[in-house]
Amino acid sequence: MNLHLQKGSRSRILAAAIFIIVAIFVGRLFYLQVIQHDYYVGLAEEEQVTRLKIPASRGLIYAKNGDEPVQLAMNETVYTVFADPQTITDKEKVVEVLRNVAGGNVRTGFDTFLDRKESRYQILATKLSRVQADKIKEEGLSGVGFQAVSQRIYPEGSLAAQVLGFVNTEGVGNYGIEGYMDDQLKGVDGKLESVTDVSKVPLTIGNRNVNIPAKNGANVVLSLDRNIQSHVEQALKAGLERTGATEGSVLVMDPRNGKVMAMANSPTYSPAEYYKVEDAAAFNNGAISTPYEPGSSIKTYTLATGIDKGVVRASDTYNNTDSIKIGDNYVVGNATLGQTGIISFQHALTWSLNTGFVTIAQRLGDGKSVTRESRDTMYEYFHDRLRLGEKTGIELANEAKGSVFSPDEVQGNSVRYATMSFGQGLDTTLIQVASGFSALINGGDYYKPTIIDGYMTDEGFEQVKTPEPIERGVVAKSTSDQILHATQQARASSFGQFDKPGYYIGGKTGTSQVSDAGGYSDTETIASYLGYGGGDQTEYVIMVRVSGKDKILQGARDALPIFTDISNWMLDYLKIQPKG
Amino acid sequence: MSYQPNTYYTSRRQQNWSRNQNTTRFVSSVKLGPVAHTVIVALMITVLGLIYLTQATRATSYDYESQKIDSQIAELNEQKSDLQIENARLTALETVKNSSVAREMTTPVSTQYAQ
Repeated sequence: MNLHLQKGSRSRILAAAIFIIVAIFVGRLFYLQVIQHDYYVGLAEEEQVTRLKIPASRGLIYAKNGDEPVQLAMNETVYTVFADPQTITDKEKVVEVLRNVAGGNVRTGFDTFLDRKESRYQILATKLSRVQADKIKEEGLSGVGFQAVSQRIYPEGSLAAQVLGFVNTEGVGNYGIEGYMDDQLKGVDGKLESVTDVSKVPLTIGNRNVNIPAKNGANVVLSLDRNIQSHVEQALKAGLERTGATEGSVLVMDPRNGKVMAMANSPTYSPAEYYKVEDAAAFNNGAISTPYEPGSSIKTYTLATGIDKGVVRASDTYNNTDSIKIGDNYVVGNATLGQTGIISFQHALTWSLNTGFVTIAQRLGDGKSVTRESRDTMYEYFHDRLRLGEKTGIELANEAKGSVFSPDEVQGNSVRYATMSFGQGLDTTLIQVASGFSALINGGDYYKPTIIDGYMTDEGFEQVKTPEPIERGVVAKSTSDQILHATQQARASSFGQFDKPGYYIGGKTGTSQVSDAGGYSDTETIASYLGYGGGDQTEYVIMVRVSGKDKILQGARDALPIFTDISNWMLDYLKIQPKG
Repeated sequence: MSYQPNTYYTSRRQQNWSRNQNTTRFVSSVKLGPVAHTVIVALMITVLGLIYLTQATRATSYDYESQKIDSQIAELNEQKSDLQIENARLTALETVKNSSVAREMTTPVSTQYAQ
């Protein structure tokens, strides 16, 4: 027994100690490598694998310059210069370089920011171009860094501002095409997941690398012609200055396919400096977002309805007494007095006599009053066929619906429909009225108004399919011909002297009352003009609307000259030959 | 009385050896011990490791080359984008209208069309 103790005691203790130590090591390694395997693999990947977002480039927006696309909205990379005041070593040099290179892009008092030693991040200059940033980088200033930011720029300034909309600092499109097509324009960001070195250079080692390229946004080509748009904006501005109106919208479209050629609004703004706008109303595209009572331009709709239903022709007559009674308590009067007696509906259109169009509404029924049958027919033409009071579906944000009361509603009574016959009692937008009018003069086909002409791809301009009318024969061809003739006569008899000779120009004035609490304002009216022009065929429809707070404006005096200016210019620009 | 075998088994190898008794075989005078073996194995592993590293580094060098080309492409794209923006600004309507050429232009008094 003593021999056994003497031979093994220390050795066995040592062996046992080693065994325990090894067991601890093995146990610890088992814990780290097996049990904690996923955790440590995760930590390693976090250290070695870099995940980068590959930002998609926002799609560009083009307009047409004749047949050639030109950019209206682009992207520019600009740089923000920042400093870490704690690591700045040569303050004087930083100040000098920034003053010389960044110029007007430096922030006011930026030199004092460098003394804020408690801070680690001070912005010294913003929106530097790449060339400016490169020049500053060449100086190798310690403690100075750069941050690249993509910003939207609009090389044509404020041209078509409400059509374009703007992109905010978060990169989200607002208003116009930027807002409506934001999802298509912004594209889809890509993803890069790879093992990288210390300089973040992706390496091909590892078997779980991911590289999904970014899908850039669609490059949209609008149907706007930048030259027409520019002239329309000038004409509108001049018209507002001349009349003293403060707000206005003009729409020019091709009645043969619904393509919008120009859409101008005032007041306007610069989309690149949207943040400077004080009244957000400037963002609104009045041509599609501001419903109003369209006034006498709707008389063309009433006449077309009467002709198409076979109850009147423009040459038919009625007895004008300058007023007409609706029901027991309501009397409609003419704004222009004195054209009394037996006169034609053409005469009523030319002189914009309300009584003539209430008479047509009556003839759509029993000939004595605006019956349910009259109202049903008017609603069918105004709302169902010519789509007043419904969104047109134009590809722009914030389109308003307006309203046309159905005869089924309490408000859709005889008085309302009597007033609707000359453009009151319904709310419509410019784009609705112009689109319906296009159908009335193009042979009777209704085209959905559109502002997208195509897309720019790597292969060049790809035009979208030629628009097809969404409904053919909303009025008969013969009705359309009569409306063309009637509106041409209406213009020629009073305003033909303003037009270039040898062209077919037609139109209708509108002076709308503005509704206020309990009725109509006595101190404010909206002036409008709806017309068309061309040679052998109608090439354009123009609709003008001007208004102002507490301004009494008249279609013939205040809106018509803007139409005339644009129309005469369009005839030259489109190289339309006179009829000889 | 004990058992004495009177026949002996001779293996085939022994028989061959006996048959080729004039055959010589080389016996090195250098004897490798366990340490030398360990060193050789370690050296072989090192060489294999170096070969692996060389190959891996070569692949990585392609990554750097690729990254360099990508940077050049990005740089050229940025330059192209800058030039497109400059071009758009220079050909913008306002710029064109305010140009000296535009100022010299006049509006025609009338337009004649060839029939």
